[in-house]
Amino acid sequence: MISTGNDIVALKAINVARTKQQNFYSKIITDSEKALYDEQFSDGLPFEQFIWLAWSVKESVFKYLQRIDPELVFSPSKIKVIELAVPSAKSLSHFEGRDFNEQTVYKGIVDFSPHTFYSRTIISDDFIFSVVSHTNNFERVLWGIKKIDSTDADDQSKAVRVFALAMLNTLFPGTQLEIDKNSHSCPIILKNEVETPVPISLAHHDQYVAYSFQISP
Amino acid sequence: MTREETLNELKKVIAPYTVNKEMLAGINDQTDLIRDLKINSANLVDIIIDAEAKYDIEIDYDSADKMTNVGSCLDVITEKINQK
Repeated sequence: MISTGNDIVALKAINVARTKQQNFYSKIITDSEKALYDEQFSDGLPFEQFIWLAWSVKESVFKYLQRIDPELVFSPSKIKVIELAVPSAKSLSHFEGRDFNEQTVYKGIVDFSPHTFYSRTIISDDFIFSVVSHTNNFERVLWGIKKIDSTDADDQSKAVRVFALAMLNTLFPGTQLEIDKNSHSCPIILKNEVETPVPISLAHHDQYVAYSFQISP
Repeated sequence: MTREETLNELKKVIAPYTVNKEMLAGINDQTDLIRDLKINSANLVDIIIDAEAKYDIEIDYDSADKMTNVGSCLDVITEKINQK
């Protein structure tokens, strides 16, 4: 079953000093991920950004699989970033699209035995946004990031649905689409009140909302 | 410490991370931290760290994974206090 998972972290809402404390980051990353950072990224990527990149990737993997296995428990220590490639360019020209500009994203490989996932992460001055997929090809992944005025959870929830529906309506014009939740609290896309097979993932943190969905061939 | 006393302390730990103060006042074992209290998942580690400091305990990976609702939080905290 194909699914999708995304997550966004608003950088102004994180506690940088706390993130760098060993008792905090050790709840998110494993010793092998700390070693990966020390060996390859400590020169160019702030440690707190690495931690929240890892968090957003792990949360995305959890969301991807929870749609398939509703009883799954989120275990950050069991989801491991085993490879990470840094972008060659840092400019981010757009906040919504299909696939990713490979030059501007962090590309990861993630192990959650027996599964392997592939990740794309955008780090801007304001947020860290990740999407995961079961393949290393994101051509069928659509995604979006938006800044909103409110940090209220209900407002975020409404705003992200309106945002994602705007994109869905351009892809599937003339259809009556809605976003609802299934009995396991996973977001689903309804067409004429019937669930579609298009998996969607929603995320929000502070003033940022984001979506991802995966379309069929 | 009784379960009720632990619950009252847990409310103080959770309070900074939820705006849903009315629901916080009436939480019970089934109250889900994310779905009911609208706590952002990015703050779950904060709650675990704050609980460790509040009760002078250490919460391991596997125990932390279980802390998704109030009842499981109380179970883990009580277990760790009893292990001291």
